[in-house]
Amino acid sequence: MGLVANGRMPASLTKLFNISRSYSLWVYQWGLACCAIEMGAAFGSPRYDVMRLGVIPLPASPRQADFVCVSGTVTDKMAPAVKRLWEQMPEPKYAISMGSCANCGGPYWDSYSVTKGVDQIIPIDVYVPGCPPRPEALLEGIVLLQQRIKNEDMAAKWRGEDYTSLQATNSERNAAKVAASFDADVESAEQQSSSSDPIVVGGGPVE
Amino acid sequence: MTDLSDRQKLGYIASQAADARLNVELETEGMTLNIGPQHPATHGTLRIICRLDGEQVVWAEPSCGYMHRGYEKLTEVRTFPQVTTLVNRIDWLGSFANEVPFILAAEKLMEIEAPPRAQVIRTILFELSRIANVSLFLGDLGVQMGAITPVFIAFRDREYVLNLIESATGGRFHPNFDRIGGLKDDLPAGWIDETRQVMVKLREFCDIIEDLLFGNEIFQSRTRGIGIIPADIAKDYGLSGANLRASGVDYDLRRDQEIAMAWDKADFKVWTHPDGDSFARCWVRLQETRESCKIVEQLLDQIPAGPVMTKVPRIIKVPEGEAWVATENPLGVMGYYVVSKGDLGPFRVKIRTPSFNNISIVPWALKGVYVPDIITILASLYFILGDIDR
Amino acid sequence: MDQLSDDGEATDTLALPGDGLREGVLDDLRSRIGDAIIDTHLVPNVDLWVRVRTDAWRETAVALKADGFTWFSFLSALDWMPSPYGKGEADPTAEAEEPDTEIVQGVTGGETRLQVFARLDDIDRHVGITIKADVSDDAPVVDSWSTIFAGANWHERECHEMFGIGFNGHPDLRNMYLPTEFEGFPLLKDFPLVARMVKPWPGIVDVEPMPAKDDEEGTSSS
Repeated sequence: MGLVANGRMPASLTKLFNISRSYSLWVYQWGLACCAIEMGAAFGSPRYDVMRLGVIPLPASPRQADFVCVSGTVTDKMAPAVKRLWEQMPEPKYAISMGSCANCGGPYWDSYSVTKGVDQIIPIDVYVPGCPPRPEALLEGIVLLQQRIKNEDMAAKWRGEDYTSLQATNSERNAAKVAASFDADVESAEQQSSSSDPIVVGGGPVE
Repeated sequence: MTDLSDRQKLGYIASQAADARLNVELETEGMTLNIGPQHPATHGTLRIICRLDGEQVVWAEPSCGYMHRGYEKLTEVRTFPQVTTLVNRIDWLGSFANEVPFILAAEKLMEIEAPPRAQVIRTILFELSRIANVSLFLGDLGVQMGAITPVFIAFRDREYVLNLIESATGGRFHPNFDRIGGLKDDLPAGWIDETRQVMVKLREFCDIIEDLLFGNEIFQSRTRGIGIIPADIAKDYGLSGANLRASGVDYDLRRDQEIAMAWDKADFKVWTHPDGDSFARCWVRLQETRESCKIVEQLLDQIPAGPVMTKVPRIIKVPEGEAWVATENPLGVMGYYVVSKGDLGPFRVKIRTPSFNNISIVPWALKGVYVPDIITILASLYFILGDIDR
Repeated sequence: MDQLSDDGEATDTLALPGDGLREGVLDDLRSRIGDAIIDTHLVPNVDLWVRVRTDAWRETAVALKADGFTWFSFLSALDWMPSPYGKGEADPTAEAEEPDTEIVQGVTGGETRLQVFARLDDIDRHVGITIKADVSDDAPVVDSWSTIFAGANWHERECHEMFGIGFNGHPDLRNMYLPTEFEGFPLLKDFPLVARMVKPWPGIVDVEPMPAKDDEEGTSSS
């Protein structure tokens, strides 16, 4: 791991690791409100069948999970528990925020007891808007997360930095050159995942 | 018992003494067990704190509020048509049923009534949302006892109902379809035939669940005689819906009150069960799903022609007054006490949700049960977190 | 279906038959706690309201339970003060209008800003009753119902948390919903929704006049 300590990873090794990581995701389902049922439909129902995407629901505990899907209203009373759950998860870890309530408070934007967005507590990689989003939207969010993982610079992750895409690292390293697309597979996702900003399903800025 | 020999009596006394000695020797210290706030057995974010003596619960207390969203305050700063968007999300499995009592209360204050066609369609959608709600309960029931298959079947067949609701209302989960004075739209073409086919599938679903679960020996031994709630206790706590009827109380607001809906046009049976245990509650819900299919099938034949919307002012101001309307929702009696001051929005809305009362009996019902029975009792009481915490 | 206002009063007095059931309930109640009843309001075949003296709040529950109202529906409170913040729809930068501070109680009247109210149902006769009682502004405390209707326990906890009303004889008035360190009583009208103070309600566009398509349908006001 001397390479990693130097902050360098052979590109082919990164690619191999990223592909294998993105298709064996254990998802911890943090179902809180209405969206939990749509998440259950996406993860537990035969019609949507999330396992075909290489995502495995129902881990025994957050300590065995790779990403968490926060779905539903986060209240101020629940917020410490969400934070604690996130801290229990091992790195590398990702988070999907599902539904308007988890994104920004949604219909309860003016309520006295609702946290206006779970991103105030934990860093979010993919936002899935909707109230509640259809299971298909959540599946798209998962596909986008997988592309984001495939596009991640793992060395940066191991150094303890936030999400850094390969493109960002490449363009930094070869400032003179034009950063070439890393992989033809991810070309379509390049627009969204070339930056290190979180992704929103269906596009749109994150304010 | 009378013609026991002395030898048998002595044996009995000796065994009792041995038991007592064992109990003294193995006396355990009290232990506090925390279930939740996020636990698969609590359907969301209910937290239950139990104090145990060995395997038995001596004290249990649910801790709510992890899903408190402040509906009653928020309704005060919304206009009447906007409130339905909020109250949709109280009982999120049967959303349409949440809108209806509020709209009826507003109509009561405005002294208008929806046209007959709208009333029948409302009732059909109401019953469909009951099916969507209770079918998930029936599937989830198995999960609580370790059987994972029923939940897949439930999710599969629930999708058919959700598709129906979506094609009629545009919303798969939260329709927001009910308007003061009627409905937003008429039914789409072909919807009635499709619904008939789905109802056949749902009856099959009920049969499958009955075969898989209710005849299962493990299921029976884990639910029969467990969590018994007598009728007078149930009434004291204000239990409603299947929980009350499973205690032998014949009370169903669909039949027992005059209301501007079409239940009186359908012929259905209100099921009760004399036992009051967990099995009775599950069984009553299964029968209710079948009755709902029956109601829907009957009402599909009786949809009258005509408009779905009566004349209402474009900007709705509800006259001053107070009104209470309750309906028999999937989870029990849900009611709205609406106070209007003649403004665009309500002055105060008190939302009476069934799960709040249904779950307030938990400290009573869990006293003295064994730890595995906590799960079955909670599952059979059937609550939805948004419905408890509002 | 369009007799919104015109025919309303005429039918009120003429077409409504007597409501023997609810009148009977009221007579029974009068015979039990006659002197405690301050005001009643009966809409025939619709609903029944009774306002009782605050010190008879518990007594009323006992009498009604004996009268067959055994099913506990809910217990809560009403704050009759108009909200000093309006609906929170005004532009926060503009100068605030003088808020309406006149307290007007609803059905069956009242003298105080806060009222407790509860509903009980008789599930054999299929009739319900709403009971109200004033809560003193200085010492907002009423007697607890939790020993009469076990279900009132949680409702009183909720009411205490939301309105700050105390209940004499309640076993445990802990917070039901909110964290223990939460300050204020959210359902009081003078509890501000801070998010609205910062940003006005975006949904105000809903009451803009719609494009004139069918003028005869409905009368647009304001």
